[in-house]
Amino acid sequence: MTMMTSSATSRHWTSLFSMSPERRSVLIAIGVFLGLLAVVDFISSGPLSYFDISFLSSGGATSAIAAIGQTIVILSGGFDLSAGAVISLVNVVLAQGMDPAAAQTSVLYWTCVGIGVGMLTGAFNGVFIAFFRLQPIVVTLSTMFIIQGLTLLVMDKPGGFVAPDLGTFYLGDAIPGWLPMPLVVIGVVLLAWLWLKNTRFGTAIYAVGSDPDAAAAIGVRVKITKFLVYVIAGGCYGLAGVFISAQTGSADPLVGNPLLLSMFAAVVVGGTRLGGGRGGPLGTVFGAYILMMVVNILLVLNVSAYYSTIAEGTILILAVLAGSISYSSTFARQLRGAQAQFSAWRQGLLPSQLDRTDRRMKMPSLAAGKPAVAASFLSRNSETIRYALPAYLCLIAVIVVTQFWLGRAILNPTYWNSLAVLSTFLAILALGQGTVILTGGLDLSVPWTIGISGILLAGIVNGSDAALIYALPAVLLIACVIGLINGIGIVVLGISPIVMTLAMNGILQGFALVYSQGTPAGFASPMLRWFMTGKLWTVTPVVPFMVLFVVAAVLLLGRTAFGRRVYGIGNGLRAAQLSGIAVGRTLILVYVLSGLCAGLVGVLLTGFSGQASLGMGDDYLLPSIAVVVVGGALITGGRGHYLGMLGGVLLLTALQMFLAGTTLPYATRAILFGLVVLGAVMALREKRA
Amino acid sequence: MGIATTIRRATAFACLASSMAMISHADAAEKHKIFLSMSFIGNDWQAEAANMVKAMAAHKNYADKIDLQVQVAGPNAQRQIQQINAMVQAGAEAIVIFPISPTALNQVVKNACDKGVKVFAYDGEITEPCAYNIAIDQEEAGRVTAEWLVKKLNGKGNIIAITGVPGTSVDNLRTKAAKEVFAKHPDIKIVGEAVGMWSQAVARTELSKILATRNWDDINGLWMQVGCFTANSMQLEAGKKPEQLLPCAGEGSNGGRIQMLPAGTEAEGATSPYAPLGAPRISYASPPYSGALALKLAVDAIEGKDVAKKTVLPLPLVTNETIKLCQEGTWQEMKDGCNAFKPSIVSNPGWFASIFSDKTPEIGLNAALVGQPEN
Repeated sequence: MTMMTSSATSRHWTSLFSMSPERRSVLIAIGVFLGLLAVVDFISSGPLSYFDISFLSSGGATSAIAAIGQTIVILSGGFDLSAGAVISLVNVVLAQGMDPAAAQTSVLYWTCVGIGVGMLTGAFNGVFIAFFRLQPIVVTLSTMFIIQGLTLLVMDKPGGFVAPDLGTFYLGDAIPGWLPMPLVVIGVVLLAWLWLKNTRFGTAIYAVGSDPDAAAAIGVRVKITKFLVYVIAGGCYGLAGVFISAQTGSADPLVGNPLLLSMFAAVVVGGTRLGGGRGGPLGTVFGAYILMMVVNILLVLNVSAYYSTIAEGTILILAVLAGSISYSSTFARQLRGAQAQFSAWRQGLLPSQLDRTDRRMKMPSLAAGKPAVAASFLSRNSETIRYALPAYLCLIAVIVVTQFWLGRAILNPTYWNSLAVLSTFLAILALGQGTVILTGGLDLSVPWTIGISGILLAGIVNGSDAALIYALPAVLLIACVIGLINGIGIVVLGISPIVMTLAMNGILQGFALVYSQGTPAGFASPMLRWFMTGKLWTVTPVVPFMVLFVVAAVLLLGRTAFGRRVYGIGNGLRAAQLSGIAVGRTLILVYVLSGLCAGLVGVLLTGFSGQASLGMGDDYLLPSIAVVVVGGALITGGRGHYLGMLGGVLLLTALQMFLAGTTLPYATRAILFGLVVLGAVMALREKRA
Repeated sequence: MGIATTIRRATAFACLASSMAMISHADAAEKHKIFLSMSFIGNDWQAEAANMVKAMAAHKNYADKIDLQVQVAGPNAQRQIQQINAMVQAGAEAIVIFPISPTALNQVVKNACDKGVKVFAYDGEITEPCAYNIAIDQEEAGRVTAEWLVKKLNGKGNIIAITGVPGTSVDNLRTKAAKEVFAKHPDIKIVGEAVGMWSQAVARTELSKILATRNWDDINGLWMQVGCFTANSMQLEAGKKPEQLLPCAGEGSNGGRIQMLPAGTEAEGATSPYAPLGAPRISYASPPYSGALALKLAVDAIEGKDVAKKTVLPLPLVTNETIKLCQEGTWQEMKDGCNAFKPSIVSNPGWFASIFSDKTPEIGLNAALVGQPEN
């Protein structure tokens, strides 16, 4: 969102920078890529041979092809979390379908099967997003769970057989000694995109991504465009799945999942704006190869394992910064703004330095005579209720099902206590992540903010209640500083929230590893453990704390100036700026709040488990986003109520508790989980597009 | 390429490398170049295994022989493929791998083998025939622990099963073997099953979810890949006495081992729940020394000795009958039969205690803790 300012305010500046921002960022991505290639050439033992090029090209091809699909989705203003899962699904389908005894395998046939499977999943996404008008992030999140379940049903462990013919074709040479096949495959996909881009449909993608309402007004068929975008993207993931099958010669149901986050990084490094309308797959391809090359450079330099995520995170930030260097970049504008403010201060022209007489226009007081009739509670809050209600209705349904299936739920105080305790973590994260989402951002640094907070706390406290008194504020302060750095990167440097927080997550992971030397020491103090697992009469002490937290959260977002500013920014950054909201300061505070919430969760989780562990926050990232959206918030910002998010938290937790109590296989559970989340948001769909 | 370029490159490389301060240049040429490709370093097991590999490389028998470089691939098989390729390019003589996937690496491993590189996989397995595999028999692990639990319950009772990471072969083999055992005893009922991701923290969350609709009194035993330590702690929190703890078949963490010691045993630094409780347990583990052993065998293979393609490690099993506290944790002491470490030395109860092998006298407790070999 902060990235868009560069296009909105770009002036006519007669220089190199006068080209369109899109073309510039692609050129810069290519420049960074060539620079890295030169570095690899420089530091590796021999000159770059054809073999090196061929091996580099096949190494990055899977993520490059998948990232092309993701780019098209993002161009149309969407978001696709199911990409990694589709790659795994295609991988197992191919391995299961191929006959190891067959002498010859048709490369074309199986490529079509792979692309077809991908397109089918894309169509599933597309139907819900385009025709039911559901939010892409939550639809694709549900699809991700469903597809992961299906994948495990097809093949529950690594194995299977992918014909070597496929590998020979996809990893071989198009022109021996000159052109490796992976580059040809990527080239073909890019050419297909170039053709598509120049059709009416291609224009429609950019139009829908820039402004769906305007696009609809000039006659673009928004629904069908969105639908097709997901189908095409699915096809790309399918092709990536075929490629990875060829590369590995077998199947692994988990192979695609870790590709997801780096895919987004590739898209952003390649110069495509999250939120839609600007960028393109060419930059993405270079973005994917840039990220891959970083790995190779770290390998050649033999950077210690502990520091590799720090290095990657830093490089990600630098790459994006390099891509945005220009007169109109956010950082440059910030500098000019600061300069202007300083000179105004010297001349005594700042508003705060002027004399403080009330210059407002005098209005005759109309309301003096009759007291205003307050609108009824229902009509004032009808929108909030409409969006928050589905989560609570689904929650009731899940609890009733639990009662009938497992017994012992509604009348069992333990059930309610467990529900409250287990919800605590997500409820706290929902405030931080929810506030960030309300402003139109996203905080991906949650997992390792949790991790490092927990590890630091356990390390400092080491079982002593006395140490808790200073350790707790210290750890929470550090969490705030993490948020502050996120906020500064996003506001002052103008880095997109996803990139900034993703990079921060990697950097924090590195710090956690360095601090703990790989095995976190120490454990929670008795008081903290009692707080999370003890009993105060019949409830765990954290439950009353939770109630207070919810009240405070509702007041913070609903009754304070800060809360109103957050909604203001989410509803329109420019409008908020023009109406005098200190946008930058508010945004920074929002990320500080998110950091603080994640830090608090780290502390509480440490108390809950008795000790901290690396990766303790990993399971909380996607749920923290899901609960916010299931609770009725809009991922693009501006709409949502904390009580709705709380409903989402309770729903997801109750659902997990129900599933854990059954003996259904994991695959079935994943599918059910996805379906219920999808069902819950069905009720949230917009009345009109 | 001219000599000038070579020198320029070499100098640049040296500068970069020394600024990173991570490489030892001294007669690197005479040493065997061996790479270690690990998976995600973010868990105790991986860190311990890495420490032990480093300790082995630093031992006086090997310090002059090998130049070891460590890389981490994260959870991403794609990246491991890329790393292995890069290692081959960099002139590796042997590559020791913690394989992220047993199948995804096959092609790249075959490629490495064809270039004469010895590839050793530890803990996990690589199905490509040219790779050397060093691991325990996962099916045996699942079967033996399930049989122990059935025997402990006299073939009758309600149990909870906490599995590992779904979709991995290790989890699949263990769980399937255990379920086959339970299926033979119709009176054993699995009343709750959850995915534990091999993490004590996840085990606690999942057990809390299961116990929201059940009661500890309805449950007779637990079969967990990781989490017995947590399960015992939770029973104590729920008001159970140490002698009422349920039998639990599970992992070889030091916390769990300490809990197995008879209640009242003197163990320096013990605080409940990380304390001797006499908890009825069988403790098994995928031993973290397997990487160090793989390194040792890799050197043997480079030196032309005959090394078997498949090394099945003996399954480390400890029960209440065989549990014994170590004083120092030297290799010699462990050889004499001790298998749990004082909380004052190992402060993290999730730390894996199965570090002894009669084949690795070079490494003891200090190797696993801080990467220091035995003398």
